[in-house]
Amino acid sequence: MDMKQHCVKLSVQPSRGLVDEKFTVLVQNLLPGFQLTIHALHQCEDGHSWEAFAHYTANATSIVNVSQDPSLGGTYSGVEPMGLLWSLRPVPGSKTGLRLRKMNVQTPMGVTISVYQGHQKEGFLDQVLLASVVVERWYMAPGVRRVPITEGRLTATLFLPSGPGPFPGLLDLWGWGGKLVEYRAALLASHGIASMALDYLTPKETGRMVDNDYFETAYRVLEQHPQILGSRIAMLGLSFGAGVTLRMAVYSKGLKLSCAVCINGSHVQPIDGPLEQIMTYFNKNVEKTRFDEDNQLICRDLMLPIPTDPSLKVDVGRLQCPLLLVVGEDDQNWPTYESAMDMREMMERAGNSHLLTVLSYKNAGHLIQPPFTPFTRASTFKSVTIPPFTMMALWGGELVAHSRTQEDAWRKTLVFLRENLYGDMKPGALFSNL
Amino acid sequence: MIALGGKMIPCYTVQRNLACIQRTVDDKISIRGHFLPPRCPVTVCAQMQSDDGDLWEAFAHFNTNLDGTVNLTRDPSVGGSYLGCEPMGLLWGLQPAPGAREGLRLRKKKVETPYVMLMSLLKGHVSPSERPSTELAAVTAERWYMAPGVRRIEIRQKGVVGTLFLPPGPGPFPAMLDLWGMGGGLVEYRSALFASRGYASFSLAYIGHKDLPGPQNRINVGDPYFKSAFQLLQDHPQVYPDRIGIIGLSFGVYLTLRLANHSDIKPSCLICINGPAGSTIKLRDADDRTEQMENDQKYWTYDDQGNVSFRAVSLPANLSPESKVKLEHLTCPLMYIVGEDDLSASSIENANLIEETLSATGKSQLFTRLSYPGAGHLIEPPYTPNSRVSLWSVKPQKLATLWGGHLAPHAAAQEDSWKKILEFMETNLRH
Repeated sequence: MDMKQHCVKLSVQPSRGLVDEKFTVLVQNLLPGFQLTIHALHQCEDGHSWEAFAHYTANATSIVNVSQDPSLGGTYSGVEPMGLLWSLRPVPGSKTGLRLRKMNVQTPMGVTISVYQGHQKEGFLDQVLLASVVVERWYMAPGVRRVPITEGRLTATLFLPSGPGPFPGLLDLWGWGGKLVEYRAALLASHGIASMALDYLTPKETGRMVDNDYFETAYRVLEQHPQILGSRIAMLGLSFGAGVTLRMAVYSKGLKLSCAVCINGSHVQPIDGPLEQIMTYFNKNVEKTRFDEDNQLICRDLMLPIPTDPSLKVDVGRLQCPLLLVVGEDDQNWPTYESAMDMREMMERAGNSHLLTVLSYKNAGHLIQPPFTPFTRASTFKSVTIPPFTMMALWGGELVAHSRTQEDAWRKTLVFLRENLYGDMKPGALFSNL
Repeated sequence: MIALGGKMIPCYTVQRNLACIQRTVDDKISIRGHFLPPRCPVTVCAQMQSDDGDLWEAFAHFNTNLDGTVNLTRDPSVGGSYLGCEPMGLLWGLQPAPGAREGLRLRKKKVETPYVMLMSLLKGHVSPSERPSTELAAVTAERWYMAPGVRRIEIRQKGVVGTLFLPPGPGPFPAMLDLWGMGGGLVEYRSALFASRGYASFSLAYIGHKDLPGPQNRINVGDPYFKSAFQLLQDHPQVYPDRIGIIGLSFGVYLTLRLANHSDIKPSCLICINGPAGSTIKLRDADDRTEQMENDQKYWTYDDQGNVSFRAVSLPANLSPESKVKLEHLTCPLMYIVGEDDLSASSIENANLIEETLSATGKSQLFTRLSYPGAGHLIEPPYTPNSRVSLWSVKPQKLATLWGGHLAPHAAAQEDSWKKILEFMETNLRH
């Protein structure tokens, strides 16, 4: 059955939004029973193309609404309002091991959403295109200011929300890959939290790894900023960054955190000595890593079993601020689940477990990112060790469960941060500080 | 508030939440404030700069809810630029800031950039001038006329002067020819919005543009010009030649009707907003010269402030009989939109004239009228403020003209008519 092109009306609302906003994809003026494919295409900064697609059949109402109607096949199935984004994958013929990450947050992620006739699986460029729109997805809301930070020899970028402030602050740490990754901090600032993305791994002139004073300097920059509330600063870390967050939260005299969020990390690390010792500890256990049948590296056993020796774990029993642990139960890179269970036990014994919230997600992997970020089960990973080595790291997780996890965890992380950074500031308490 | 070493610290940290902070101009937005004390007075204030650099602002007074929130979709304004529950009131209620130039009208000249609006939450029931000392929180919102992927193409072909907007996608697209009034120039924003909704749209200049022939204060083009413009659209590879509508505001209505009257021009639909079915001036054709516009002056009336109303110019009795368009030949649906408080054109009378003519020839099924009490002449895309009067000319002396329309009913008219315009286009251009 042929569809007249002039009839088909495709709309995506909103056509401009933040990356964590939902959109509605509507195709109208179809004939009942008409088969179509909705296709999403994104070209990322390094030039690779990513696509997602889904098959729909118009029912008697002659409308397809992606938020309400089921996909009958494609890169996702069932009713999935945002499936066109989180199921994006490299187009056929791409090199292996790709991961989608936006490094320039001052421009939007552009996605072309198209409607094709019939249930198509491939060769989209040669198919009959009925309609197409462009959607912009932004990490930075209008009015958010991006401020590179170089004082104190920091490599960091501060994102300030729009408005007069003052705002609560947050230190944002990523993991083993190093580099200055800004998108999460930009997004948090779009939600009203002044956030500093901090690179702490890319080798400095000294050739040595940074130590506690580096993070204390970063904290001080936030604390002394005229538009940041020095008494309301949080820390958020993913992977290795989570371990650093726990270390700072418990042991650093210079940091007084309102709360901490740790995503897929561990408290296991030698606590005596400099941060560099953690690297040595991991290197010592490197033979515990293994490869799966696809030659993808599984690192989670490096820290297992969870040690009983207290000098090898951050003593979370001494934590004095609320802690949110986000756990992907299928994390193949870090022993997140086991670490979370051990931390809970430690805090219960110490009597501060009322500070702990654990969000644990079945079949979610290591890279729990802002919502609708395309899922990657494994990708090429280059470590920052000297010499650096490149491997195919297995992150774990299953497409649908992981994507649901990203949405749920982000929402709950924002609630946690808001409650601890905004809420329940008693005027009385503030007056008494004078 | 308490002071600590000169740095003011609020007793609560307020969070502003602006859902929909990057939107197309005809989309609604939602504005909320959280973590405020319950039952306390706050002001929400919107400020933005027009393309000319003038500051426009609006404000509304609220009392927060028991849960310490304010939500413009739910809560009524108890004072300020508007009253009552009006989710979009801060947009259509924008007025020139105190100290601004006189006689302003808000119109976007550069449609490729957004309006950038600062929305602030202020403590107490205050006016925007008190913003610096009372500001609790703020967000920035962008309002766009062009959706992502819409293409803007300047057209200077075969003597035709205009701007074409194409939607993203392969095409071909149904299209609109977009005509404005005697204010002249090239008005692009309505076309940009049509393209953002999937229609190719062509804004056409016919008076007051440097690329048009002859003196800028006269219409120096005639029927051949408008036919060329329509044919240009038809011939465009990304336009469906048999799916083109025409929309006209003010004098653009006359041009719309006149163009549709040609036997070889077959539009799919016509939309007429507040304009005449005839004219007091003759359009130029091969031999005739256009008469001076000042001949209209005998019909101008003035209010106590010396503002001019052009309303009587378009009274059917004052229109030259030979200029009245022969609507008997109409073959496509026609929607006529009336602002009942139109002080610039005799819209009600012209709507009646058109309706009567069509009824008399058995074509009343082609006619749809939308009539809005309290709305003025400038019924434009929604959520932009109405100017009841604005500067019309500076030579030979400064003259301001009356458009009519009261703020809230005019805003309601814009919102409702836009929706109906898009539905009318959908029915006649897509099906």
